[in-house]
Amino acid sequence: MTANKEKRRAISREAARRRRRVESEVFEDLSRLLPLQPSVQAHLDKPSVIRLTLSYIRMHTLLKGETGTKAKASHTLTCGQVMGRHGCDGGREEKENETEDVEASEETNLYLRILEGFLIVLSTEGDMIYLSDNVSKYMGLTQNELMGHNIFEFTHPCDHEEIRNNLRLTAEEVWCGAKRDFVMRIKSALTHRGRSANLKSATWKVLHCQGRAKVCVASSTVSCLLLTCQPLPLSHTLLSKHTFTSQHSMDMRFTYCDQRMTLLLGYSTDELLGRSIYDLCHTLDIKLLTKNHLNLCLKSQSVSGQYRMLVRGGGYVWVETHSAVIPSVRPSKSRPGAHQPLCILCVTYALSGVEEPSLQLSVDQIVQI
Amino acid sequence: MSAWNTAAGGGDRSGVEPAEEVLVKENQSSVSLPSAMTPSSAVDMSFSTEMPRKRKGCMDNQDTKSISMDMDMDMEDMEDEQNGSDGEDRHGKMKCFREPHSQIEKRRRDKMNNLIDKLSAMIPSCNPMSRKLDKLTVLRMAVQHFKSLKGSTNSFSEASYKPSFLPDEELKHLVLKAADGFLFVVGCDRGKIVFVSESVTKMLNYIRVELIGQSLFDYIHPKDMEKVKEQLSASELYPRERLIDAKTGLQVQADLPVGAVRLYSGARRSFFCRMKYNKISVKVEEEFQASTSKKKELQKYCTVHCTGYMRSWPTSQVGAEGEGDADKQDSSHFSCLVAMGRVHSHSSPQVHREVCVKPTEFFTRYAMDGKFTFVDQRATTILGYLPQELLGTSCYEYFHQDDLLHLADKHRKVLRSKDKIETNCYKFKTKNGSFVTLQSQWFSFVNPWTKEVEYIVSTNTVQSCDHSRTDRSGNKSEQSSDYKTSDGKKSLPVIPGISTTPGAMIYAGSIGTQIANELLDHNRMNSSPSSGSVSPFSLPRDKCPQTHNQISNNVPNGEAPDIEIPGKSSSEDEPQGAAFTGAESLMEENSQQDLDGMVGPGLSSLSNDDAAMAVFMSLLEKNTNVGEAVDFEEMHWSL
Repeated sequence: MTANKEKRRAISREAARRRRRVESEVFEDLSRLLPLQPSVQAHLDKPSVIRLTLSYIRMHTLLKGETGTKAKASHTLTCGQVMGRHGCDGGREEKENETEDVEASEETNLYLRILEGFLIVLSTEGDMIYLSDNVSKYMGLTQNELMGHNIFEFTHPCDHEEIRNNLRLTAEEVWCGAKRDFVMRIKSALTHRGRSANLKSATWKVLHCQGRAKVCVASSTVSCLLLTCQPLPLSHTLLSKHTFTSQHSMDMRFTYCDQRMTLLLGYSTDELLGRSIYDLCHTLDIKLLTKNHLNLCLKSQSVSGQYRMLVRGGGYVWVETHSAVIPSVRPSKSRPGAHQPLCILCVTYALSGVEEPSLQLSVDQIVQI
Repeated sequence: MSAWNTAAGGGDRSGVEPAEEVLVKENQSSVSLPSAMTPSSAVDMSFSTEMPRKRKGCMDNQDTKSISMDMDMDMEDMEDEQNGSDGEDRHGKMKCFREPHSQIEKRRRDKMNNLIDKLSAMIPSCNPMSRKLDKLTVLRMAVQHFKSLKGSTNSFSEASYKPSFLPDEELKHLVLKAADGFLFVVGCDRGKIVFVSESVTKMLNYIRVELIGQSLFDYIHPKDMEKVKEQLSASELYPRERLIDAKTGLQVQADLPVGAVRLYSGARRSFFCRMKYNKISVKVEEEFQASTSKKKELQKYCTVHCTGYMRSWPTSQVGAEGEGDADKQDSSHFSCLVAMGRVHSHSSPQVHREVCVKPTEFFTRYAMDGKFTFVDQRATTILGYLPQELLGTSCYEYFHQDDLLHLADKHRKVLRSKDKIETNCYKFKTKNGSFVTLQSQWFSFVNPWTKEVEYIVSTNTVQSCDHSRTDRSGNKSEQSSDYKTSDGKKSLPVIPGISTTPGAMIYAGSIGTQIANELLDHNRMNSSPSSGSVSPFSLPRDKCPQTHNQISNNVPNGEAPDIEIPGKSSSEDEPQGAAFTGAESLMEENSQQDLDGMVGPGLSSLSNDDAAMAVFMSLLEKNTNVGEAVDFEEMHWSL
């Protein structure tokens, strides 16, 4: 009996080996087709090959409706683009208007840089169908490592609920190109110095995601979410006369305010100290501010939408605030001084002038004698 | 997450062998597991908890495994399964390195199968097949499909440098679509638009061609021109860059010298401005114009968030058509801003809604004690008061006396609950003395950080029909009769030294104050269990819902231990006395300052006793059923 068993086992093993060989060949074929650098291609494992193939096919299906029109228009530019990536403008066959060419290649070259973020295409289940390749700058992981995986594997568990809500698209929303705007935390394998580390030692990075739904009607209707994800840096914000900074305690009461606020809103800086921002905004914007506040408490950074701040004496100004929680700073040897507790730093941009200056809406606006 | 669930469900499809393995495993797991879980659920559970976690930590390891390694694992695994070697406790230990090999293998296989499933769903040739195809076939078909895709479109060619999943052009379009934006390049010197992307048509409704060559300032809101000039400039007239250090939150002066260097270094710019929006030549637009002209103006602009970099190009590259010769710059560089403008969503749909017939509504904010702290400007058209006339006054002064009861009740409720409380229809006194029927939705706004109530937000809707009467609970007839009888008594009994106005004021304004103080006290009580004595406010809390307009003989005031009201004994007191009790004890217990701040300056002119007397006397003069001691309609409220 055992001899028989052994024999059968040997046969099955042979068969398995043969199967695997064939399978590997097919996998190799597939990986060769992928638009990747040869060096990368060789080291892909099977799941990744399938993953990337899936992404490719999905993207293709998604853009099918668009490629028809766009391909013609951009045909002349295809060569330029590929070249343009490397910034060289020599060796091109087509001789168009030089200005235009330069601009076009510059344009594509600069797009993602200007965006200061990366693009992500999400399926309704959260699969990251496509990511632009500059994602490595923000997450420390390359496009190839991420494409095809599910976003829930990389985002903070507390944000999953919100992400899921945002991914939920009704048919109506999809056709109208519904917009999305939210903040989420994603893993970043970047060290402080910007080098990629292991995913195990990943930190959380806050990203502001904005985008809309997109649909493509092919053999089956595929809908997905197009998002641009930008980190929210406060460190290099150019301030002008129409922006001001302010600091708040965690309950959104002012603890410090820039003098430029006076020019915009009319309150003196002393007047505002201790006042809650909720008292200074239009009632209809409370929900927005609450969401902002909660984002700050949970995720440590936030972008408010547009809301109205009441001006002293009457009227209001439309503003938008970008804020972040500043960790508490304890005095140390290198930095002696007062202990700075946890606080919120806000940069507020004025979007409009003073609207309806004669309208006094709130008790806080009334000019005190 | 759904992907994992299907995998956990045992979605093995490639051949019979693996399926057997799955079965074998499940049986064994049921043996080893002491608890009453079903095998599938046990597997599910272990998968759903294990897999994601494993992914996070060990994903790198898995993905970098080479194909050859894969083969070896398969072999080992099969033998393992057949030997039935899995006495390990895989349900208990969830740690990465402690995991049995078979588990890792099973997961890998499931993942692979899942991917194959997905792939077959995407390949058109696979779809019509009724039965599931095996792995190899799917892969082969994938290869074919892939080849066909590559062949069809030119843009996916990887002949030159860097092959990419998406050609730049497509990427660019996706980015613009996602960002709802357009790219533009403007010269710094005079704001000449050098380039703008096609998506501007979708955003601002201008044709690309008509914008190029124009000055950007022609399309910017006049008030924002200065702002944009500032951003474009490199001149030393404008303030230097101010940066914020995220760690300390302090402003830092930029070290870069202002001027040419700033441009070269690709300084970042980020600002908001209002840009003109070209009118649509559609009928819809005319409807908007028919409405207020202010709205028309609003629609013409949309807020654009511009972020980008300063760039400079040598004029030699720019060529004859560029800014080069037009510029008077002596430098050989053409400096400009390359930026993306993201349009913030416009509020036009909302405008449209307002044009439709909709019950008029306005918002107000009350402090905890019912005083107006914010009044929407729409209130003026409805109530007749300017917002500033209402601010600081208590809402109870305007509520019709019949409604005080239930509104006080709702007030109390809203302070204690996080939900939106709907009031019944009630009457609100307008400026000219008549009443308008409103219905409100209240919710208390709680500061997310401190969890304290900051104020109450009220959405007030005007009710056109007079169904206010029917909504009230119970005592309608009595109330109406009360109302009628009180009509007859137009004035307060004359009490020497005290005018009627402050007396009435105590009544109405204090309701709100009392309710607010109840809450504060309640909170204080809850936080400090030491206060064992009955709070004077616990009494009114029980009684107020029934007071003001009811004939119930409630618990007499005598119950309140610390209240000394001259002559007030049980039986003859009107139930409303409770409210006054509250008010009186308020006066006595709380600090004077409290009262002044909340009820009004008029009260301070009276001593506490006098006020109490006034109120009490007015009660005693009436018969038991009378709802009100004072006829509010004649009162002129002023603060």
